[in-house]
Amino acid sequence: MIRRLIALAIICLITPAVVQARPVSYTGGWTFIETSNRVSTAGLIHYTINPKVSLGLRHERMRDADTDMTMAQGTWLVKRWFGKDYQANVYTMAGVGTISDNSGMSSIHETGSFIGVMADWETRSKFVSYESRFLDKGALGSQSMHAARVGWAPYEGDTGALHTWLMVEIDHREQLKEETTVTPLVRFFKGAALLELGYNLTDPSPLMNFTYRF
Amino acid sequence: MKYLVTTLLVALVPLGVSANDHHGSMDHSMEGHDHASMNHDEHDHASMSHDDHDHSAMDHSGHDMGPKHALLTRTSDIDKALMAGGQPVVVDVLGVVCDFCATAMNKIFGKRQEVAAVYVDLDKKTLSLALQAGETLSDQDIEKLAEQAGYRIAAIRRDNEAIGG
Repeated sequence: MIRRLIALAIICLITPAVVQARPVSYTGGWTFIETSNRVSTAGLIHYTINPKVSLGLRHERMRDADTDMTMAQGTWLVKRWFGKDYQANVYTMAGVGTISDNSGMSSIHETGSFIGVMADWETRSKFVSYESRFLDKGALGSQSMHAARVGWAPYEGDTGALHTWLMVEIDHREQLKEETTVTPLVRFFKGAALLELGYNLTDPSPLMNFTYRF
Repeated sequence: MKYLVTTLLVALVPLGVSANDHHGSMDHSMEGHDHASMNHDEHDHASMSHDDHDHSAMDHSGHDMGPKHALLTRTSDIDKALMAGGQPVVVDVLGVVCDFCATAMNKIFGKRQEVAAVYVDLDKKTLSLALQAGETLSDQDIEKLAEQAGYRIAAIRRDNEAIGG
């Protein structure tokens, strides 16, 4: 277990980190989520206290603004729809913590917070999601993000097999020069691990997300 | 702004479509009988005469009246537990679409002392359990454990019903 944690920590440090694949797990489960996109690299580790709530710690480095954020995050599964062939979820999330702006001669520290909402619907071969997040950085300003995804699995892998998804993500960030961008990506899913690799075509930059469930 | 409206619609439309009561998606049909598509208004059983046909003389070989239920998925661990006298249990689970679902149920059920072996079958959408010899796990307990994993169950079958014996 310690080796696994060290390996995950290394992955987190060497790759740009937070996409939220299933931000609430099973009762008593730990999940590590790393996300890296055109703006930031973030890592979130969370513990699911019951099937509807997870609590975690999130660190995000926003490369463009030379800003670091460390926040306690809570995620609530508002509603899950169950079907024989599908699952759909609506989550809300919020966090509070410190934000450090390192772009000037000396760092500026502020208390920051964010709120977000996420919805997804998926079968074994189709996927749709939407996520929106608003970040308040105190005196450092605020920013918002919206992202939507569609995905398709060319085959339905059984338990433990390698599952492959082809996806397209569209994100919108008003504060950036390229407000709306498109990122095609491939999702690999096997057992407790999920890896996404993509490339932003509009604002050329790689995307890499990794999730592991303990 | 157009983008926001579009993305919201993209996200919300499928949710609206999928917002069914979970019982709506349960498969109660028998092989060869699709009740949903049958019109029951056009025939009156009370007024029909059943005297002029002989059921025993009819050929039923083309009719499979067996239940359309998934059976226990056999793994080496499950077989081993069954050989040791464990009870087979098959659970139809709703919302099982990926390996994270399987991981969750494996973890939750796997740490119960009553459970000797567990396997989540994504193709069949079932949870297959082999209990320890002499142990039991009530339907209520199974339902509660599935909820802890984040899922909901549609049906539970045990013993011969689970293995098709």
